[in-house]
Amino acid sequence: MKGASMHSEMMKTQKPSVEWFDGFTKVMLLVMFIFLTGIFISAKYMASHKMEGGGTDDTVNAMASKVSGTKSHPFVELPGDAEVGAFSIANFFVGVIVGHQWTVLFGKNARKEETP
Amino acid sequence: MHIEDGILTAQACAVYYAATAAMIVPGIMEINKRVKENLYYKPFLAMVGVAVFVISAMHLPVPVTGSCSHPCGTPLAAIIIGPCATVVISAIVLFFQAIFLGHGGITTIGANTVSMGIVGAFTGFLIWKLFRMFYSPIWLAAGLAGFFGDLATYLTSALQLAISLHGNVPLIKQWMIFFMGYGPTQLPLAVVEAIFTAVVVQVMVARRPDLIPGVLMEGEKAIERGKYAL
Repeated sequence: MKGASMHSEMMKTQKPSVEWFDGFTKVMLLVMFIFLTGIFISAKYMASHKMEGGGTDDTVNAMASKVSGTKSHPFVELPGDAEVGAFSIANFFVGVIVGHQWTVLFGKNARKEETP
Repeated sequence: MHIEDGILTAQACAVYYAATAAMIVPGIMEINKRVKENLYYKPFLAMVGVAVFVISAMHLPVPVTGSCSHPCGTPLAAIIIGPCATVVISAIVLFFQAIFLGHGGITTIGANTVSMGIVGAFTGFLIWKLFRMFYSPIWLAAGLAGFFGDLATYLTSALQLAISLHGNVPLIKQWMIFFMGYGPTQLPLAVVEAIFTAVVVQVMVARRPDLIPGVLMEGEKAIERGKYAL
């Protein structure tokens, strides 16, 4: 009994340490900033040279429509910011799922379990 | 490579749907087989599926051409979950992209799966296997798989459009006209896809080689065992 109460006292006094800004997070943030910097520099260059920056899929679909004489259309029209919204929502959940499964499959505990 | 509704003829759409269906059957069989062998395969498949969803919808600007395009992610998927299983997840990914993001169409899911899920995945997988057969480093084999799988996807999309729409114009000429719409932007992105594929495969092999059966050659397995013994 005495041992159990001492243990619970120790648990109360010891603060759990959670490393939120650990090595993995730092590396991921660095990679993200490298990608975003590349996108910003490219976008700045394209804007300064009055380039449209449209997607090649749209360009080729428009070319194909011209050749076929028909009108191509996506299954769902997402005008303006609706596409950004849909993409952000999808990416949020994709990120959560990938992150969750990554932890299950490649986290330290999973690795220890599987290695001989 | 997301061909929209209203471009391809009904017959062409039907043929591509049939080709996709023919590849989905062995894909489901491959998934069922590997699920029985490895309990971790299902969550692995889920992770790869959502990764392909986002990679193949992520438009990156290419300042050289002034336009944006996206990588495919299917060569990477083919290496780590198998090419037939990649066809299944590609069809699912393209369905969700069509109905939620407006990328591609419903009648063209078959055509888009043929280009991205079948040709892209199998090209990448074959290049990966070929280079690994000659004991190429993992990063090099994966990188080349990503590069050529990406380009093969776009070559196929251009060919699909050319077959349907070339009319009196020679097929090759029309094919190259459509490919020139993709090619200049896609070439730098294929390099990006090569680097990305190489890094991800290398990290996965370093952490969990057991999840990717056959990824390590016999000599490399001995080295891995030696590492753990130490």
